Amino acid sequence: MVGNRRAPAPPIAGKNCDDPILDYKDTDNLRRFLTTHGQILSRKRTGYCTQCQKALKLAVKRARHVGLLPFVG
Amino acid sequence: MTTRLYETMVLLDNQVVREDWSKAKGVVTDLLAKHGAKLHTARRWDEKRLAYPIRGKRRATFLITYFEIGNEHIHALRRDFELNERVLRYLMLRVEKLPEGEAEKAQLEQAADFAVPAPPADDAPDVEKPAPRREGAEELEVPVPDLNNLAVEEV
Repeated sequence: MVGNRRAPAPPIAGKNCDDPILDYKDTDNLRRFLTTHGQILSRKRTGYCTQCQKALKLAVKRARHVGLLPFVG
Repeated sequence: MTTRLYETMVLLDNQVVREDWSKAKGVVTDLLAKHGAKLHTARRWDEKRLAYPIRGKRRATFLITYFEIGNEHIHALRRDFELNERVLRYLMLRVEKLPEGEAEKAQLEQAADFAVPAPPADDAPDVEKPAPRREGAEELEVPVPDLNNLAVEEV
């Protein structure tokens, strides 16, 4: 049905990602960027630029390594 | 030889922490001393339930430490961490500088009245944080009836 689609959800990080400090120890913040199953959200959903999305990926993977976040939820 | 600053998060077996915190901390600090690292800080970060079991343990005590070490010792240090049975897992990262407030937090552990709470049982759930109180929320007084002297309504 054309013209009856839901508006996309606004990006979590806001319009400008503004070079966030993403730390693997700050799991409460990182969880905002994960699905309920623990997968990292796409750039479309996070609203991050390339560098910030890469920083997010690194922080989540480090948190997973030390058991702070799950690999699968 | 290049000396660099490293941040290392070490997951310690709660069984060792239950026996004695200084002994558990010594597991890491002794290893660092063995490899000639210059220790800046070493402190207990938290005790948490793990997202998945690591070496059969569901909970662990996290120790965070900052130290300087020559890059030729890193390989041997990593190997020692991996071989140590009391270290469940570790994460070693190079950092530019000591984070602000880290030295002060580590200093608190030197205080005489510092005591590490005993880790809970291995399968205990995480302690839930109390919900933040809303601004301006008033204490609700719930009337508690006196159960011994309940008035019986006569019909």
